[in-house]
Amino acid sequence: MEPPKIWRERREKYLALGVLCHDCKKKNFPITQRCPDCTSGNIEEVKLAQTGKILYFTRVSQTAKEMMFYAPYIVALIELDDRIRVTGQITDTKFEDLTEGMKVRMVFRTLSKNGEEGLIGYGFKFVHI
Amino acid sequence: MSKREVYVIGYGITKFGEHYELNPSSSASQALSKAIQDAKISKDLIQSLYFGSLVSNRNGQSYIGAEVSRECNLNIPITKIDVGNASGAGAFHQAFIAIKSGLLDCIAILGTEKLSDFVNSSTLEKILGGTIDYQWEFEQGATLTSLYAWMTQAHMKEFNTTMEQLASVPVKNHKNGVNNPIAQFRREISLKRFLDAKRISDPIGRFDPATHCDGSAAVVIASKEFVESHTEIERKVKVVGSAQSSDKIALHHRETLSSLLATQVTSKKAYEMAQISSKDISIAEVHDSYPIGEILAIEDLGFFQKGDGGSATIEGKTQINSDISVNTSGGLKARGDPFGATGIAQIIEIVQQMRREADQRQVDDIKYGLTQNVMGTGASVLVNIFSNLEEDK
Repeated sequence: MEPPKIWRERREKYLALGVLCHDCKKKNFPITQRCPDCTSGNIEEVKLAQTGKILYFTRVSQTAKEMMFYAPYIVALIELDDRIRVTGQITDTKFEDLTEGMKVRMVFRTLSKNGEEGLIGYGFKFVHI
Repeated sequence: MSKREVYVIGYGITKFGEHYELNPSSSASQALSKAIQDAKISKDLIQSLYFGSLVSNRNGQSYIGAEVSRECNLNIPITKIDVGNASGAGAFHQAFIAIKSGLLDCIAILGTEKLSDFVNSSTLEKILGGTIDYQWEFEQGATLTSLYAWMTQAHMKEFNTTMEQLASVPVKNHKNGVNNPIAQFRREISLKRFLDAKRISDPIGRFDPATHCDGSAAVVIASKEFVESHTEIERKVKVVGSAQSSDKIALHHRETLSSLLATQVTSKKAYEMAQISSKDISIAEVHDSYPIGEILAIEDLGFFQKGDGGSATIEGKTQINSDISVNTSGGLKARGDPFGATGIAQIIEIVQQMRREADQRQVDDIKYGLTQNVMGTGASVLVNIFSNLEEDK
């Protein structure tokens, strides 16, 4: 991952910001220049809900080298309390202990490591509450 | 819409598998030369070449069209069409449009991929990551396989689809693949072996995904006027419908995970163009990169009611010479999946069936044939329909 990309995505990945449209009142994630529902440009950045529930989850054991240090890990489709859906990892929880509909909370964690000297990618994951 | 009629007049395909001895352009040139020979026309009559490939540019050469042009001694326009891993069908669709438009009369379409060059699995995982939402699915930890796992879970939950029903998809396709000379895997695999395999992304098992391999496939298409003025052309198959549409790339942005909206929309457009319904289709080559892929396809294309895909498959309704013969070639699962070449290979299977060249996997009484090629988890879908009616021959 290159520095300009990490810098550009800092507000979404580090702060979990989406957009709220003042015209159609819909909230969306990630940040876009126009509302993906009504294409209005009258939008502002808003924080996503910090808790939600698991809709689907499964294990990943094979992926890009930068993300292999936690593998096998759990990846889930989460519906946040504000109805926004995101893809994210479930951490600090055993696969066997997870169930569909389980409540989760957003946490800030390491997502990728590019070798010993490369950049570290950060972002949000989820833990069971 | 233009009334111009379009025909497939020749095809060429390499064996799918691992071809360490071939460089990408040589593999592509082999398929292209075979297709031109099969059409029985002089190569100088081909006016343009459209090619589809997901990663040919990552083998070093950014534009392998240039190498193919030298190896086949062609000085025509060569244009790469990008619809991710559905680029083969994407190139075919654009060539179809070019002939329909009336500007061109004879076009070659080439799909190619050389995936055995990527010995580092991380590289291939990133390539596959590019067919899903790279930033908000892949970089968040999801992979193509894990997303198909969720789609499988959704179908199992909503329609009580069972593991046995899912496994009956690759069991059937491996059985069909035994009789396909270009298939990567020409052997049967038992239902038990699929069910007993280690789960890689629950509920997807180790043997469920199609393998990513090397291969090239090419077809030559021409207008009716061209065919009539070149008596050397012996065999032709009419293209009666060709369509493409898109959906949101990320699963978290979609309304449902148990249907592919893009398949539903695209097939509706293609059926309308062909002036037929799903009931008229006798054979179909669909995107079975994972077992759920074929189940979603046969439902969303309208062959079976939503939710009945699993039971229809296990009851044998999609076997050769049953209600509808699905993936007679062995599908992506047994034939192997060289992304860009897959869309063209699907078309070639339909053409072979209609020319009655499919030997032991030959289907009797074919009216119409259909191909469905999916990009990623359904961000883009292409459907092509071919006619085998006497008046179209």
